[in-house]
Amino acid sequence: MVVKVLYFGRLKELSGTTEEAVVLREGARIEDLFAACAAARPDLRKFRASLVAARNQEFAAWDTRVHEGDEIGFLPPVSGG
Amino acid sequence: MSRNGTDRVVIVREAIDTATLAREVRADEDGAVATFDGCVRNHSHGRATLYLEYEAYEAMALAKMNEIAAQVHEKFSINRVAMVHRLGRLEIGETSVFIAVSSAHRAAAFDACRYAIDTLKKTVPIWKKEFFADGAVWADGELPFTPKEPGGPVPAETPAAKPASN
Repeated sequence: MVVKVLYFGRLKELSGTTEEAVVLREGARIEDLFAACAAARPDLRKFRASLVAARNQEFAAWDTRVHEGDEIGFLPPVSGG
Repeated sequence: MSRNGTDRVVIVREAIDTATLAREVRADEDGAVATFDGCVRNHSHGRATLYLEYEAYEAMALAKMNEIAAQVHEKFSINRVAMVHRLGRLEIGETSVFIAVSSAHRAAAFDACRYAIDTLKKTVPIWKKEFFADGAVWADGELPFTPKEPGGPVPAETPAAKPASN
């Protein structure tokens, strides 16, 4: 399956892109998706503990299963206001 | 009581017209309008700030801001809410976020306005980059979480992560 991944803030700068399409095996969870994204970019991994994930624009636990066509965002600590 | 149909919740890239928002949030049955004007200050952690840049996960940020407006109606006896956040480059003194709440009496307006800005800062996916003379940094933020309050809206999913500090 293919999912869309969005990067924001410092993750966008680290990954060098705002979004990308990632191919995953069926049954994969958000944690697996992050590992796949970080495999090519070791710098991403050290931010893992400071991130939360969103699936289709809702906060989602890292063990949430992803589905074909999902939009997954990796969100650094928010600092709006 | 007015509901979201008369609220004004938006994300903009131009200057926020705070006077107009504060005026339009008021109706004849209101006796109070409380406002919060969040603006760009000229220093951060002892360094002189040149300007800020804000970016957002825009669709999700707008959805979260609308959730906050709905929560404010449920929790407080208020009339209308205006909630506007600006993105892009902002200069010192410019308004980055503006919230106005109208109600018959002042206590609900104050409380609702405070709740709205505090919740926005914790849960809305917006990020601020601070530019200094000698470089730029992404501001230390808060790990977003979905507020879970007794009687409040229950989030569909709960993030595994919890705020690590602050």
